[in-house]
Amino acid sequence: MIGRKHIPHYAMVLPFMALFATFFLYPIASGLYYSFFDWNASSRARFVGFDNYQHIVASRDFHDAMINLAAYVSITVPLGITVAFGLALLVDSFKGVWAHFFRTIFFVPVVLPAFLAATIWRWIYAPNFGLLNMILGWMGVPSVSFLNNTGTMLYALIAVDVWVSAGFNMVIILAGLKNIPGHYYEAARLDGATKLQQVIYITIPMLYPVLFFVVTYGFISALQVFDIPWLLTGSSFAAYGGRQRALLFPVMDMMGRGFGGLHFGQASAYGFILTMVIVLITAGLFAFGRGRFAQ
Amino acid sequence: MSDASVITNVEPTAAPSGSFVRRPALSVWTILKWAIALWAVVVAVFPIWWMINVVFAQSGEPVSINPRLYPTSLAAGFEKIRMILAETDYLRAYYVSLAYSLLTIAGGSMAAFEFALFEFPGKRLMFAVVMVSLMVPTAVTIVPTYLLTAKLGWLNTMQGLVVPGLASAFGLFMLIQFMRTLPREMLEAARLDGATHFQLYLYFALPLSRNALVTLAILTFMRTWGNFAWPLIVAPNPEIYTVGQVVGLFNAPLSHQTVDVVMTANLLAALPPLIFFLIFQRKIVEGIAMSGSKG
Repeated sequence: MIGRKHIPHYAMVLPFMALFATFFLYPIASGLYYSFFDWNASSRARFVGFDNYQHIVASRDFHDAMINLAAYVSITVPLGITVAFGLALLVDSFKGVWAHFFRTIFFVPVVLPAFLAATIWRWIYAPNFGLLNMILGWMGVPSVSFLNNTGTMLYALIAVDVWVSAGFNMVIILAGLKNIPGHYYEAARLDGATKLQQVIYITIPMLYPVLFFVVTYGFISALQVFDIPWLLTGSSFAAYGGRQRALLFPVMDMMGRGFGGLHFGQASAYGFILTMVIVLITAGLFAFGRGRFAQ
Repeated sequence: MSDASVITNVEPTAAPSGSFVRRPALSVWTILKWAIALWAVVVAVFPIWWMINVVFAQSGEPVSINPRLYPTSLAAGFEKIRMILAETDYLRAYYVSLAYSLLTIAGGSMAAFEFALFEFPGKRLMFAVVMVSLMVPTAVTIVPTYLLTAKLGWLNTMQGLVVPGLASAFGLFMLIQFMRTLPREMLEAARLDGATHFQLYLYFALPLSRNALVTLAILTFMRTWGNFAWPLIVAPNPEIYTVGQVVGLFNAPLSHQTVDVVMTANLLAALPPLIFFLIFQRKIVEGIAMSGSKG
């Protein structure tokens, strides 16, 4: 029974829940509806069933974007977290002021908006006068067009990505490290365990929940990568993805179909396809994670 | 996992607990550790340092003469900043981004108060729905939310930028976590003293949650300042460009801006978050560590 005494509670949650229903639940429902229509926002919508989904899955762009995504995610997530873990161990091995100093400095790239990281690195990668090519020039290496060479583009993106995200994950892992009781290490040391053994047999198992969070979160955000490749390739809704679409990713493809091609039905369907992929991967991670917990 | 015979090799007075350092003396490991840490400092900071150097250098000096490793001309830098502020709409973008960030911070705290401290019919269901939304990727909502915003006639307006982002489950989740720890006896006492429900929220929950609110406000500011995709689609009119879009404009392949001008635009966009970080460093780092370890 909903009694009168509950009215103040509902009054207090109403503003948030109303916003939430309007700008979160309704868009999802309407997106699902649009995804079955051929609609360009001005003409009449035409019901097409699953055509949008079929059209996307069969398209070349989708195929390229998914292949790029698979390569990108399988490198950037493990690499990024390994770097973050290394940085966290490094910071943790210092004490007092120095630990604080290094933690602060390693976090600075996180503070910059991703769009800025991308625009700064675009110039660092620039041919001839960019910082990186300047350094290569000192070593006698001819100028490389990092963002225009299909062999280097993906790695150029991953480098920026790791630069941006390492500090973020480092801070989360550091908080986890602080929660591992010191006497575990002491006992291991008395047993003669080396530093590497301590990391493998104490740190990693004890950090398991934190690492699991960092990995899952890393996958979910990497699967939706947009800002950095969009800006690194100087994309616009007219032309995106860079040379030979080597940095075309699903969210870019989706945005391009929606705001470049005005195929809003297709763009909505794209969102659901992508969500399915993300849900499947996350579910896989959880299944794998639970198996490890049980051990 | 241990070998008893190794025990004799370990000095029991070695490093304090929780540290990975075994011997306090200057070992190969200590040197290596410092070398890696300093190298990581350079990698983390140099791109930003380089951006500053490019701004504070005479335009057009070839890199072979001035490799931009440190600032060489303060006057030239300030002249570029003055020029950008005077000749472009950068200041308006500043205002838009600032308003966008500050307005987004509001909202959420009333609902968090209810979810954290009270029981009422339907609460569990609402809470579950909101929490599930944390796992729904933005990719699926961005296009239909745009379509809704367009239908409301909010394209190129401040409310179009801000309002859809107010239904942030992330902020709500963080505040709930914090408000759960508030002392309920005080709440009861205040209620017995005749405080109304809204007074409890205003004079009890809000002041006691000041820390969490400030942390949330800072994180929201940083995130909103860095939001690129949403303004890109919902505010395509230059009248309401955010800083991110202005930076994107300077970086567009056809803008024909020199690296000096682009870097000045980048630097101006980087300043607010960097200054914020310098002031609220501890809160930012701890806020992120908290959201990770509890997630």
